Amino acid sequence: MRDISAADPPAVPIWIAVAAATAMIVHLYLVFCWVPNEATMGIIQRVFYFHVPAAMASFVACFVGGIASILYLVKRDNKWDDLSLAANETVVVFEAVNIVMGSMWARRVWGIWWTWDAKLTSAFILLFLYAAYLLIRRATPVETRAQVCAVICILGMVDVPLIYMSNRIFRTMHPSPVIGGDKNSGLDPRMYFVLAFGVMTMLLLWGCMVKLRRRVAELERAADDLVRRTNEMIDQGV
Amino acid sequence: MNPSIDDVLFELRNLIWLFYAYGIAFFLLFAYLVQIGRRESTLRRRISDLQATVEEHWKK
Repeated sequence: MRDISAADPPAVPIWIAVAAATAMIVHLYLVFCWVPNEATMGIIQRVFYFHVPAAMASFVACFVGGIASILYLVKRDNKWDDLSLAANETVVVFEAVNIVMGSMWARRVWGIWWTWDAKLTSAFILLFLYAAYLLIRRATPVETRAQVCAVICILGMVDVPLIYMSNRIFRTMHPSPVIGGDKNSGLDPRMYFVLAFGVMTMLLLWGCMVKLRRRVAELERAADDLVRRTNEMIDQGV
Repeated sequence: MNPSIDDVLFELRNLIWLFYAYGIAFFLLFAYLVQIGRRESTLRRRISDLQATVEEHWKK
């Protein structure tokens, strides 16, 4: 196990944290001051530039967490378990942001907070699944934890394509896809730029969160190990 | 065609709603970052305390 000390460099290098914060400010400027209004929905459509990147970040987190979980099962190396936990915890955060923003948009545009259509339901299942993951992880004994968590991660990874494809396959209230949709779909180049910038910013922020959470997982493991060794020493009367 | 006063008010309400939506999203992200940052510093303190206890024990 790696030695942990108070003098360790920060989990996220300062320049990356500054870059993420700057990108977020620039993104907000682009959303509120630069991008043109959408013709039918007006100003409330600007929720889209944060709602979609948050969803994308949660999808990436699902795959990273799932693959790390499978790698942990194969290699039994704790670093994969830490990465899986870090990525899966961020799924809950970004999916919550995605659902809250989508719900607030729906209240103004549809007049309702929520409807159980395929897209929204599958997104809710993803949030529910990863919230359950965090609870189960705490409750399951260490010996069987990896297997149980891997099963949940695999279910989560299966849910992601379902969310993505749901408004392509099923008739949903959710707006039809603007990228990769039918021939009438598409975005104004400025809107497309702001969306792409938002996705990059969100992924940068997500990367910082995962690195920080992974460090916390390492520290938790080191603290538990230290407590166990200290107790052993006391028991042996050393 | 000029927008009616109702349209302007509707857009104004939408703008306020938009600020709320972004505010809540940033609050969630920021709260999570603060929470893991605090957990990191608490764990570092705990580890250095434990290491100090072990070293003290060895000195005795």
